[in-house]
Amino acid sequence: MDNFKKVLTDKYLLLGFKNTGIILVVSLVFNILFGTITAFIIERFEFRGKKVVVALFFLGMLIPTFVTEIARFRIINSLHLYNTLGAPIVIYVASDLMQLYIYRQFISGLSVALDEAALLDGCSYFTLFYRIIFPLLAPATATVCIIKAINIINDMYIPYLYMPKNKLRTLTTFLMDYANAQQGSWQTLAAGIIIIMIPTVLIYIFFQKYILAGVAAGAVKE
Amino acid sequence: MNTLNRKRKQFIVVSLVVPILLLIGFVVFPAIDLFRMSFTDWDGFSKSSNFIKFDNYIAMFKNKDLWLSLRNNAVYFVVHLFMIFVELAFAVLLTSKLRAAKFYKTMVFMPYIINGVAIAYAFSYFFSPVNGALNAILTAAHLEDWIRNWLSDPKIVNYVLAFVSLWRFSGYHIILFMAVLQSVPQDTMEAAQIDGANTWQIFKYIQIPSIMLMVDFVLFDNIRGALQVFDIPFVMTAGGPGYASSTFTLYTIKTAFTFSNFGLASTMAVAIMFMIVIIYVVQNTIIHGLVLKDKKTGGKKHGKEKHTANS
Repeated sequence: MDNFKKVLTDKYLLLGFKNTGIILVVSLVFNILFGTITAFIIERFEFRGKKVVVALFFLGMLIPTFVTEIARFRIINSLHLYNTLGAPIVIYVASDLMQLYIYRQFISGLSVALDEAALLDGCSYFTLFYRIIFPLLAPATATVCIIKAINIINDMYIPYLYMPKNKLRTLTTFLMDYANAQQGSWQTLAAGIIIIMIPTVLIYIFFQKYILAGVAAGAVKE
Repeated sequence: MNTLNRKRKQFIVVSLVVPILLLIGFVVFPAIDLFRMSFTDWDGFSKSSNFIKFDNYIAMFKNKDLWLSLRNNAVYFVVHLFMIFVELAFAVLLTSKLRAAKFYKTMVFMPYIINGVAIAYAFSYFFSPVNGALNAILTAAHLEDWIRNWLSDPKIVNYVLAFVSLWRFSGYHIILFMAVLQSVPQDTMEAAQIDGANTWQIFKYIQIPSIMLMVDFVLFDNIRGALQVFDIPFVMTAGGPGYASSTFTLYTIKTAFTFSNFGLASTMAVAIMFMIVIIYVVQNTIIHGLVLKDKKTGGKKHGKEKHTANS
C-alpha cells in the first residue's frame, strides 16, 4: 500500500487530474455543440456549396493524425497556444470528427415532420435546433461523450508534444514522467499504472452499452 | 418567403462558420502545408526557410535508418493482417449462442479502453530482463533456455512489440465484426438452416458477403494503424536498440522534434499519406479482384450492404 500512497501524494498526479479534467470538459462541450449543429445542417438542409462542405469534412477524416502534427505545430505556435491547455483543446475540437457520423446517422432517423410542425408554429431555426433536435440527440451525445472521453484521457501524443511544461501534466504524461523517475522499481511503477488505468476502465464498465454501439457506428461511415 | 429564406441562410452560415474554420485551419490547411514544407529546409523555429526542390525527397530515399523503420512497420502490418482471420473467427464464435458471450465481449474490448501508455509500461515490466515477469515464469518452469532479452534483441524486439500491439487492438476489430454480424437478418440465416445449409456454408454465403464492408474498413484500419505505430515502441524501447525497433512515424516525429528538421519530416509525412493510399488500392485490388472475384457484382452488392450496415 505504501506504493499507492507514494503515487497518490505526488502533487503532479493531482495536477494531472485537474488538467485532464479541464481539457476533457471544454473539448467535449465544443465537440458536442459543433458536432450536433453541423450534422443537423448537413442532414436536413440543401444549400449551395453543400457538396464542398461535406467533402471537406470527409477529407478531415482521412488525413492521418500523427504526421499532420508537424505542420500543425507551426500554426499552434503562431497562435501562441504552445505550452497552454488551449493547444490540446483546439486540436481535439477541430480534428477527430467521428461524432459527425454518429450524429448524422441518428438525425436521419428522426422524422422531418417534427421540424416542419415546429417551423409552422413559428419556431426559429435556432429554437428548433436547441429546443427540439438537441434534446432528442441525447442518446447519441452520451455515446460521443464516452468514446471521446476515453480517447482524450488516454492520449499521450498531443499533450506530450504541445505541453512540455511540468505544470501542464495530464494523467498520461504524468505517468511517463513518473515511470522515468522510478527507474527499475517496478512495484512503485505498478501502483502508478493502476491509478492511471482506473478512470477509463470505470467509464467502460459503467457505460459499456454506449461504447460498443458507438464504436461500430463510427466505423461504418461510408 | 423571402425573410424565411434569409433566416434559413443566416442560420446555416452562423452555425457552420466556426466548425468549418476550425477544420480548415487545423486539419485541411496543415495537411496541404505539409506538401509545401516538404520542399523547404525549415527547422521549426526560424522565421524563414529556403526552397530546396527535391533535396528532401532524395535524402529520404537514401536514408537507411528510415528504410529499416519502414521494414519494422511491415512486421506490424503482417502480424495484424494474419490476426484478422482469427479475429473474425472469434467474432463468429461470440455472436453464436455461446454461454457468457456478453462477459467475453466485455473482456475482449477492455485492452482497447485501457490507457496505452499504462499498457506499454506494464508490458515493459513483463518483458524486462531485470526481474521481468516473463523470464521469472520461464525460470520457474525450468525453461531457462527460452530466456531472451525480449526488448533489446534486434531479432525479436519487433515481434514482441507487435504482440503488445495485437493484445491492445484485436478487441477493437472483434467488436466491429460482431456488430456487423449481428446486423445480418436473422430470418435469412434461419431460411438457410431450414434449407439444410451447414455452419460453414452459412458463414461463407451469408455472413461473409454481408460483412465485406466492415472487412474493407478493418483492412484499411490495419494499413493506417501499421504505418502509424507510434506509442508502443516510443514508450517501450524508444525505437532502440539503435533503430532496431523504430517505426516510420517514430522516425518522422524524431526528425522534426528532436533533430529540428521539419522540412525532411514533412517529406516523410507526405510519404506516409501516399503509402496509405497506394497500399490500400493494391490490397483492395487483390482482395476484390483475385480472392473474391466479385468484380462484376461488386458494385451491386455494395449498395445492399451499405443499406444493412446503416439501418
